[in-house]
Amino acid sequence: MSTQAARRLVIAQAIIGMVAAAGASLTVVRAQVRGRDSAWSAPAEAAARVNPLLNRPGAAAGGEKLFQHRCATCHGEDGRGTSKAPDLMQPDVQAQSDGALLWKISSGNTHGGMPAFSFLPEPQRWQLVLRLRHME
Amino acid sequence: MSVPRTCLFLALALALASRAHAQERAYFVTYDHYLEEPGNLEIAVATTTGVPRGNDSSYSAPWIELEYGITGWWTAELYLEGVTTRSDGSGFTGWRWENRFRPLKSEHRINPVLYLEYENINEASRIQKEIVGSGSLPFEPIADLREEHVHELEVKLILSSALAAWNLSENVIVEKNLSQDEGLEFGYSVGVSRSLGGLASGSACHFCRENFVAGVEAYGGLGTSLERSLSDTRHFIAPVIAWHITDRSTLKASTAFGLTDASDRYLVRVGWAYELSTRGRK
Repeated sequence: MSTQAARRLVIAQAIIGMVAAAGASLTVVRAQVRGRDSAWSAPAEAAARVNPLLNRPGAAAGGEKLFQHRCATCHGEDGRGTSKAPDLMQPDVQAQSDGALLWKISSGNTHGGMPAFSFLPEPQRWQLVLRLRHME
Repeated sequence: MSVPRTCLFLALALALASRAHAQERAYFVTYDHYLEEPGNLEIAVATTTGVPRGNDSSYSAPWIELEYGITGWWTAELYLEGVTTRSDGSGFTGWRWENRFRPLKSEHRINPVLYLEYENINEASRIQKEIVGSGSLPFEPIADLREEHVHELEVKLILSSALAAWNLSENVIVEKNLSQDEGLEFGYSVGVSRSLGGLASGSACHFCRENFVAGVEAYGGLGTSLERSLSDTRHFIAPVIAWHITDRSTLKASTAFGLTDASDRYLVRVGWAYELSTRGRK
């Protein structure tokens, strides 16, 4: 093998190595998204509540603004989760009722790092629930 | 730390930080059960301007507050405070280190928080973040008062409830002077507040009702264990308002009206807080 061919081989190996490392780091970043606390569940009475804003499509825009202000720091701007908080598009999150999501937003899980947002007026918390339902 | 170094530290902190939403309470004295979010740092500057009764000189007592969310259930705060008067001088009045612990995992009808604070201050301190015991403030030259150092330990039981759109908070305060035997000093504060908004608007706005929180708080001393009497105690009632200017910063103001002869006539408080996330997004 000529010197030039050997150099090309080394460069190709380096590029492959860098691509592999980047892929691995992406996998690591993805794996760093915090898992959901599966033991954390809403009481049945709270979970049965219905979102009073379901027929108010105009309320969703306010929900998006609230989400970016209140939730995106931890859950990510797209709700896909970060190292601080879980992915809100996971099927087991989306499978929860509106009432259960409202209860979790209101109550928080302080030992799991989720603050309580009961200081927000309840209509605003329902707007956040609307936003969580439209995360695509 | 020198002023340029402090500025450099703050500039670095701001540069490295990512967005965090301010959830600053409207109260100046009363604490509710909402702790700082984990990894968030709140930098606040505020001042208490007092107008005493009689001929005593009015004063202004500024403070800097650094509040950090260590975990979801533990928030720590450092205060640096000073005082300036029209005719009695100015000076640094000490520092305070406070910790708040929220023992319960989720929201309840009444949410308890335990508050522990160590104070290394002097007798010139006038920020009046809490009022305990009895007697009016000492109005002597600031230089003389600064010679009298005080080490104090303060414990509060914070009880707070979210009732529909309202917050109702009650604080019971016990303070022990570690430098002199003054027994235990007692105090209280209660506050009620609510957001002025209902549904959030879809557009960005600074003056929407949803960005304002209004309320009222009352606070005062309840005597000491050595002198079980309410005579000569100070009590105030204070309307409060907070304006969330942006998603990071909050401006708040209050005028407290003195209710007894031992109380100053008015306390005007103004504060500005800026919140940032030190852990960022990963």
